[in-house]
Amino acid sequence: MSDSMILLLAKGAWETIVMTFVSGFFGFLIGLPTGVLLFMTRKGQVLEHKTFNHTISIIVNIFRSIPFIILIVWMIPFTRALVGTSIGVEAAIVPLSIGAAPFIARLIENSLIEVPGGLIEAARAMGATPFQIVYKVLLPEALPSIINSASVTLITLVGYSAMGGAVGAGGLGQIGYQYGYVGYDVFVMNTVLILLIALVFIIQFLGDFIAKRVDHR
Amino acid sequence: MIELRNITKKFFQKTRAITALSEVSLTVPEGKIFGVIGSSGAGKSTLIRCVNLLEKPTSGEVIVDGQNLMDLSPKELAKARRHIGMIFQHFNLLSSRTVFENVAFSLELDYTPKAEIEKRVTELLALVGLEGKQHDYPVSLSGGQKQRVAIARTLASNPKVLLCDEATSALDPATTKSILALLKDINKRLNITILLITHEMEVVKDICDEVAVISEGQLIEQGAVSEIFSHPKTALAKAFIASALSLDIPSDYQERLVAEPMAGKRPLLKLEFTGQSVDDPVLSEVARHFQIDSNVISARMDYAGGVKFGVMLIEVFGTQENSLQAIEFYKSKNIKVEVIGYV
Repeated sequence: MSDSMILLLAKGAWETIVMTFVSGFFGFLIGLPTGVLLFMTRKGQVLEHKTFNHTISIIVNIFRSIPFIILIVWMIPFTRALVGTSIGVEAAIVPLSIGAAPFIARLIENSLIEVPGGLIEAARAMGATPFQIVYKVLLPEALPSIINSASVTLITLVGYSAMGGAVGAGGLGQIGYQYGYVGYDVFVMNTVLILLIALVFIIQFLGDFIAKRVDHR
Repeated sequence: MIELRNITKKFFQKTRAITALSEVSLTVPEGKIFGVIGSSGAGKSTLIRCVNLLEKPTSGEVIVDGQNLMDLSPKELAKARRHIGMIFQHFNLLSSRTVFENVAFSLELDYTPKAEIEKRVTELLALVGLEGKQHDYPVSLSGGQKQRVAIARTLASNPKVLLCDEATSALDPATTKSILALLKDINKRLNITILLITHEMEVVKDICDEVAVISEGQLIEQGAVSEIFSHPKTALAKAFIASALSLDIPSDYQERLVAEPMAGKRPLLKLEFTGQSVDDPVLSEVARHFQIDSNVISARMDYAGGVKFGVMLIEVFGTQENSLQAIEFYKSKNIKVEVIGYV
């Protein structure tokens, strides 16, 4: 393999990692509060609110049903307004974050549902405010499960970012697409695959490791 | 200290309303331990949840420490709840926190300074007998230890009232005893008023001053423990007492039992002691006055709320005439006598 090819792959791998983790971060920034709100406004919960819950739920479902490849294109005007361009890593992070957020919101909601109701009741009986219930009871108790959700999300984002590569997002996906699909260079294509597989394995391993460390159940 | 006035709670399911509590009123005086006993589904859990408004009553008034909780805003209610402790059947400890951090929880809610939390938690863990466990996670504790942590946690905010929701129902008998002793100790030492719900008469007998019997959402009987034990009015109260005091005739006696007196057979008596019975050494008195020997076959005597009560199965050795006189003697002491038969 030529030096320039190694450099290209290294750059691609770095771009994929940046896209995955940065959009994962922004995805959580939007998805986590949304998931918490989805849970807290559910029937029988502390902030029960039917209309509010249904509205968010519908928005989440709409965004979850848009195929990612279409979401990228559909969001181009918004992306351009936000980061000034519609190609490259920065531009890809916008639809990736928006694509991941509703997915994360549902995962968070499900993690919170698993927290035993008695704990919320005990906290209410001790005079905890809804906000205290969220950050002192719900999130710490659901942490192992939330970390598992984070691994699932990041792995999904690795796939999404590769998909974005096909429309100019950069990263390993774009290299795989150009050298594999367009040029049919088997060697480069397989190297890209191996790098992607390695990335997924590392994320899963780290996720499992951390989840286990914080789990005292 | 706790006063419930005409509490009614209805749950609405799609088209129908289920009445969980109807017109329940009770008063728990300061420093007392009040027990509510009932079978599952009788509404006792709903009742205790109404006291700190975890369930909001459909109508009625909840007054704790002179404050009508129904009038408070959510913020004021959260504040009022800090002075109403509560412990649960399944402990409800946070699995992500150590014993220390669990006890510190209610103090954190009030933004107590770190140094003060440290001091208070150490004190409380000593009070419930869990020194040296502060760094353990709940998963490694036994049921009794978990309930002790829960008690320490709820005492941290200096409550005036403690609500116990089936607090010993998930524990074995020996652990139940130790937790009840701890509750009694807290009641005496810290002058905390306790309202507890249970389905076990043993619990009521062990620590309560007053008791109410709940059935189908209504309090059907209430009064001092000694009064209910000695004079149960309702069938349900009697059934609960009987469950704490059951006495069966051993099977080999059962086989030899005949209904009518026969030569060579001796009467088998069941003596029932209630709060009305004269507290005298009756067995030895009978032996002295009537030359009767008594063989105690089985007995279950207890002492609750200042009165002795229970049942005793005895085999009587003596002439028929003396036996009859002995029976009259027992009756004169307000002891209920039943001739089961002759063995």
